[in-house]
Amino acid sequence: MNKEYVIETRDLTKRFGDVVAVDNLSINVRKGEIYGFLGPNGAGKTTTIKIILGLIYPTEGEVYINGEKMHPDNIEIKKEIGFLPERVSFYRNLTPVQTLNFFCELKEVDKSIVPRLLKEMGLENYANRKVGTFSKGMIQLLGFAQAMIGSPSIYILDEPSSGLDARWVKTIREKIRYLNEKGATVMFSSHILSEVQALCDRVCVIDKGHLIAEDTIENLNKKLNIKPKLIIKVGGKAKISSKDIEEIEGVDNVEIKDNEITVVCDGKRKLQIIEEIKDKGIAIEDFQTIEPSVEDVFVKLLEEEK
Amino acid sequence: MNARKIMIIAKKEFMDNVRNKWLIVITAILLLMTIASSIAAGGGEIGEMEATVTTLITLSSMFLPIIGIMLGYGTITGEVENGALSVVLSYPVKRIDVILGKFLGLSCVIFVSVLSGFGIAGLVISLATSATQWKGYLLFMLLAMLLGMLYVSLSLFFSAILKRRATSLGAGIFIFFWGMIIGTIWIGIYAATGGSIADLYTGKASFPEWFWYELFLSPQDGNQTATLLAFGIKKIMGISLDMPSWVNLGTIIFSQLLWTVTPLILAIIFFRRRDI
Repeated sequence: MNKEYVIETRDLTKRFGDVVAVDNLSINVRKGEIYGFLGPNGAGKTTTIKIILGLIYPTEGEVYINGEKMHPDNIEIKKEIGFLPERVSFYRNLTPVQTLNFFCELKEVDKSIVPRLLKEMGLENYANRKVGTFSKGMIQLLGFAQAMIGSPSIYILDEPSSGLDARWVKTIREKIRYLNEKGATVMFSSHILSEVQALCDRVCVIDKGHLIAEDTIENLNKKLNIKPKLIIKVGGKAKISSKDIEEIEGVDNVEIKDNEITVVCDGKRKLQIIEEIKDKGIAIEDFQTIEPSVEDVFVKLLEEEK
Repeated sequence: MNARKIMIIAKKEFMDNVRNKWLIVITAILLLMTIASSIAAGGGEIGEMEATVTTLITLSSMFLPIIGIMLGYGTITGEVENGALSVVLSYPVKRIDVILGKFLGLSCVIFVSVLSGFGIAGLVISLATSATQWKGYLLFMLLAMLLGMLYVSLSLFFSAILKRRATSLGAGIFIFFWGMIIGTIWIGIYAATGGSIADLYTGKASFPEWFWYELFLSPQDGNQTATLLAFGIKKIMGISLDMPSWVNLGTIIFSQLLWTVTPLILAIIFFRRRDI
């Protein structure tokens, strides 16, 4: 048993009839990290999260939280967890204060924290309105406030930014970072890959229920040999063929569109490549480097899997 | 099992459901129809309690199952679909506490509905008439509450074992009509086996002994008969209630309690193993 692991799944499998939703999945989330859980729609992310929380019984395999085996009635483990499911909706006829009071009581936490939680999530002006009248985004914010009750040491968030506008996506992102800085371990699934890139220490990619990769984004880039892109703007229409640029050492791929040249190249030779393009008589007006993104990793991993 | 957690869940269920607009509408209808049926029984004025009872049992056996099913059918399936239950179960609470808390909270909603519907109507009737059979009326209200709880338990059971809210609503409709239709089937069997319905009205014949089992199969009919027995009424619509000794208030209430407890136990068993 590795004590560094806050969440550990061992050979987790879940079958729904003939459908294998989770397939022999072994992942681990380390203490104090932000762990991104990625996969295309229907990959088995939500099922895995629900198994971790003891909401779904695995067909095979086990889940350990803080080194202790998880089962649905394990009260002590659950005190350590804050969970936000995807697309949650609460009790229509209760106000947000009554809703959070209810969850405080369930976790045996002092209800005096409720006004602060509502304020942190920007819901203080709606404290006495029925939740049934809330928009999807407001319910999501209430869900996030709920997850923070009792300052849990582990956060499991399923698509936390789902249904939120840009302003609140930023708030949630900052909140996740803040909770992590205060010592919490965060595992979250997301389809917004930029969000994952901005936050995560490590990511895990699953598809069709099984593990494709689990590592830092940097290591995955290296392993997959994903190279940066140079976007070069030239004055007027580029009077050069892609063949001329491909000849340059370290260049992998070239695309030319009007006055924009996109070059996929070796990261260590970016400056030399710019110089050599200039030497070929091209007037460079501007250029931009795009480092490999989690999106590239994600796409490449899924492509390789096929 | 944790009594504190059960009470927390019960309180939340009560607070959420007691404000349900449909519950308020049905309770208001119950109140108005009870007073209206009393006026009808009294020939234009508010009638005596006993004369009102035969109408009351129809109201009670119609509306309390509807309220019970309305409260119970989506309590698990609905919350599984909208994600609220997965949040609750991620908290330090056991599944058995959730089921028992829900049952208790929804039963309290039934009590409030019966007290506001039949209770207020009973008060109005007693103020307008002389000799009120308070004991019988109180028993009638308790039986109405029991009927509501019975249907909460049944619909909660279906909600606990079925996957979708729509299917658990279908099951709720089925159990409502089960209680309504079984009496008709029994009458059909009685007629088909040579029994004369006309003779029942003229008093020439009474129901055979096997017929009375129906009261234990249909919660609605059992509850109606129990109310009549509570008021000491021996005849309904001209048919004398000439029952065998094993059909009495005690055995009927016992069967209604069984109808309530059994689905609840089954709901707990199935809910423990279900995926949320």
